[in-house]
Amino acid sequence: MEYILHILVMVCIYGILAVSFNLLIGFAGLFAMAQAAFYAFGAYATAILTLKLGLPFPVDLLLGVLITAFIGALVAIPAIRISGTYLVVVTLALQVIVIAIATNWKDLTGGTDGLRGIPSLNIFGYALDNPGRFLPAAIVALGICFWVAWRLANSPFGRALRAMRENESAAEAVGKNLLYMKVAVFAFSAGLAAVAGSLFARYLNYVGAESFGIDETIYMLAMVILGGTGNLWGSLVGAAVLVILPELLKFVTLPTEIADKSHLIIYGLLLIVILRLRPEGLLAERSTMRHLPHVDDTNRHGAEMTAPLPKDEVTLSGNDLHKRFGGIVAVAGFNIVLKSGSITGLIGPNGAGKTTAFNLLTGFLSLDSGTITFRGRNITGLKPHNIVRAGVARSFQDLRLFTKMTALENVMVALPNQAGDRVFDVFFRPMKIHREEQDNLVRARAVLDFVGLTHKAYETAENLSYAEEKLLVVGRLLATGAEVFLFDEPLSGLDRTTLAEIFPIVRKLADSGKTICIIEHNLDVIKELCDVVYFLDEGHAMAIGTPDQLMNDPALATRYFK
Amino acid sequence: MSAAILETRGLAAGYGKKQIVHDVDLTLDRGEILLVLGHNGAGKTTLMRAIFGLLKPTAGEVTYDGKPIAGRAPGDNVAEGIAFVPQGHGIFRTLSVRDNLELGGFIMADKTRLPERMQTIFKLFPILDERQQQIGGTLSGGQQQMLAIGMALMHEPRVVILDEPSIGLAPNLVDRVMQSIAEINRSFGTSILMVEQNVRYSLPIASRVAVLKAGRKIYDGPPAHLQDDVELMKLF
Amino acid sequence: MDLFAQLFVNGLINGSHYALLGVGFGLIFATTRIVHFAYGPIFTAAAYAAWFAANVLGLPIPVAMVFAAAVAAVLGVITYQYLYLPFERGQSSSHVTLIASLGLFIVLENLIAIIFGTGGRVIDGYQYGIFLVGPIYFSSVQLGQVIAMVVLTALLGVYLARTRHGKAILATTDNPEMARIIGIDTVKVSRLVFAIGSALSAIPATLILLKDGATPSMGFFAVFIAFVAVIVGGVGSLRGAVAGGLALGMVESLGLWKIPTEWQSSIAFIVLFLVVLLRPQGLFGRTVS
Repeated sequence: MEYILHILVMVCIYGILAVSFNLLIGFAGLFAMAQAAFYAFGAYATAILTLKLGLPFPVDLLLGVLITAFIGALVAIPAIRISGTYLVVVTLALQVIVIAIATNWKDLTGGTDGLRGIPSLNIFGYALDNPGRFLPAAIVALGICFWVAWRLANSPFGRALRAMRENESAAEAVGKNLLYMKVAVFAFSAGLAAVAGSLFARYLNYVGAESFGIDETIYMLAMVILGGTGNLWGSLVGAAVLVILPELLKFVTLPTEIADKSHLIIYGLLLIVILRLRPEGLLAERSTMRHLPHVDDTNRHGAEMTAPLPKDEVTLSGNDLHKRFGGIVAVAGFNIVLKSGSITGLIGPNGAGKTTAFNLLTGFLSLDSGTITFRGRNITGLKPHNIVRAGVARSFQDLRLFTKMTALENVMVALPNQAGDRVFDVFFRPMKIHREEQDNLVRARAVLDFVGLTHKAYETAENLSYAEEKLLVVGRLLATGAEVFLFDEPLSGLDRTTLAEIFPIVRKLADSGKTICIIEHNLDVIKELCDVVYFLDEGHAMAIGTPDQLMNDPALATRYFK
Repeated sequence: MSAAILETRGLAAGYGKKQIVHDVDLTLDRGEILLVLGHNGAGKTTLMRAIFGLLKPTAGEVTYDGKPIAGRAPGDNVAEGIAFVPQGHGIFRTLSVRDNLELGGFIMADKTRLPERMQTIFKLFPILDERQQQIGGTLSGGQQQMLAIGMALMHEPRVVILDEPSIGLAPNLVDRVMQSIAEINRSFGTSILMVEQNVRYSLPIASRVAVLKAGRKIYDGPPAHLQDDVELMKLF
Repeated sequence: MDLFAQLFVNGLINGSHYALLGVGFGLIFATTRIVHFAYGPIFTAAAYAAWFAANVLGLPIPVAMVFAAAVAAVLGVITYQYLYLPFERGQSSSHVTLIASLGLFIVLENLIAIIFGTGGRVIDGYQYGIFLVGPIYFSSVQLGQVIAMVVLTALLGVYLARTRHGKAILATTDNPEMARIIGIDTVKVSRLVFAIGSALSAIPATLILLKDGATPSMGFFAVFIAFVAVIVGGVGSLRGAVAGGLALGMVESLGLWKIPTEWQSSIAFIVLFLVVLLRPQGLFGRTVS
């Protein structure tokens, strides 16, 4: 009996670890390999704070969580600059350093002997000093940790995390602050792992470096993968299976040393087999949207989509923009002035610098020189997400939809000023966020109606047709609520019928006072849609005029239109 | 011997669940330039990749010289005389022009013919001769495209498949590249299958044109007819 | 000053060891883009193979080294063929391959521990020579580490630049799709780099066996330091891996001047952090736009 209770306690501890790790890997797509290091921080914090400073519960736990969360947040700072393989190697290095500290800083950590005699938890004079007594505490801890992770994953913040996982630059382009998101998710993931560490220390009354090695991180990884990335329940299942399975094998008699090794072999094999046969894990990721209620068509206020703005005012302007890549001049002395209510076309041969100009105007590339102003405010040098928030949004030629998210989620995530993007509000203003989500659902529906995709709201973006994807790109851009829209080839590859659907949409936007700029190759489209056209070549505007003026310009005709 | 050197029947291809090319019949006759037109997303690249074997067709047949070749490895196609010039950077950017050309002849059985082949290509694109030692990635866009075409010609292919050779080039260069393609066709008798968006420059050199829309062939015939067909031209 | 010279030589020696590990790992990584964690336990397996050949079969050390290289090459190719290639064919993401590699890492490491036990293995009766040059001290094995690095990387460099297979590897590293287009069988090339990269790791493995003996867990540090050397030096170039490895060895060793021995390995990781933050393309990496 004692033995079964012990296993259940371990399931709880690893459940917390797997859930915390899933936030990073599954939701945020951040492949960090230092989860066992965070686990170690929690365990050593409790050991050191209770043994050396005599601090009582829950002070040790809270301090441990805070310290670990802080260290997790620090790891996130390099993670903003680096990704993929680099993040793997850096976090692996952190893992190695933490073990080095645990083994070498003998005064603090007891070195290879570890720290013994950590006091058991004591609740109202009732010592939790055996598995049976400890289990309720472990279950409560798991429940709280799971709730925290669940709340985070299913909030607007969690939605933004998944968007970031799908495509970082697109997440920035809808106003998400990647640094904030990475810091927050690392802090939470690390903090939750520290809770597990503290429990471990209290339960075994001992911590030693050997419990927190790289094998341990791989063990947790196996739980997350087995259960299913992006599914928190899956992580619990994964933890339960991988803790219980080797125990069942104990009934096969093997020398203990071989038995331990063979467990690790089984985890490794299981990891490979599950990746081959069911890479999404036992419980696959589900859309977080399903629980949202259906919206009644009558209480839509689609009107706010088109609340008219004054026309013919200068909104966005770029002044003498320059950009070089190595020896290649991409943009040189480019000037552009966009006005509200008008549609500006950007044409020119491939390589003329059109997309680079967009990247400069929206902060995705830094300028070598020049200034950008939006409604009189200097926005030069602002980060992309701040430029979007200021009111200038852009789309990408290669779409960059959040492919594993539904059309509705693609739009929802782009809506501006979401309190639910802030983790503080997620936990401390639940009612506000609930109301806001209802409003946002209505707004998202209005956007989908506007682009004619309402019937596809619950379809994942990857299952849409090419034309629908393009419409969704427009919808996602509109949802940002920006005033200036920079469209990078929104219409290429569409046939006449679809064009006929999109034209009025763009027109309507301009009529409502939005500022539109379009990169386009199709001259018919330019003729039909644009008020002003910039002809770009060699990185600057060679000619500016109405479509007719430009197409009748003999010099340009030979060069481009012919 | 039939007139066709490369043929597809009912070819379909796509990525994952997404079917992009549906039921396409194409016939490339010996010595002609078959131009396939279509917009972004029309499935041109997917079609070419499926023909060449970079992508396994989901249905249909590809025959080369009367022999079925659908789904076999690109290496086998190269060995039997088909060459492919992909869209964009069809070169090795970190290697020299000379190494690139040599690699173009990677499957050649008779290596002693490498210098001779290289001379033929230098005659076609003299700029490559001047820049033999330059690293591929540092060439201009036009030069890179010429190098890519040169590589494809190294092993004397009977068929060259070109995927949008005009992309990313300034208009005067587009014209230059199209003229080179016409010359290759004329002087070596190479059959050419080319996809393009740039109707203006590619149409004049084509023997025949097929138009692809949303993954299906909607026109196949002489270029002159296409120009007369107002509805079709409106597509571009 | 004598201390400095000794530390410098030590740095060169350890750096050469790291560099050679980095060259093997980096060749595989650059060509196949696979983060091959199982490189670690294959390195371990090579050390045990050398031990088996020398101690059990009684073969001379150089022969044992060749035997170890053959074992490592076979293991490397099998790993590619039966683990990575199916994932590649299924178009799995690079993360999936990486996780699978970690899975194999654990499997192999523990398999070796079960077969050979967790205690260390040394070649019975092997004694290495000791050299004293002025105030500087080093052993024959350490000299071997430096020579092995210089000779093997030079050979590899010539092989890549001059031979048909070498050029196929360079082409695949540059652009795998383009390599297929000109008729290179990239699967064969991948098998080849797994064979070469793994065989290369067998040489430092054997030298470590001679120097310190073999333990089942020695592979983690090997793959880790190889990975770090490649990232520090810059992915995709032989020069980068060598420079990265030497830089790590030097910094580690010269750091000892002020820092206690047990922290030696942590110094390298500080270098890693700095490089990744300040020069993410690595010391010798090209910035590819």
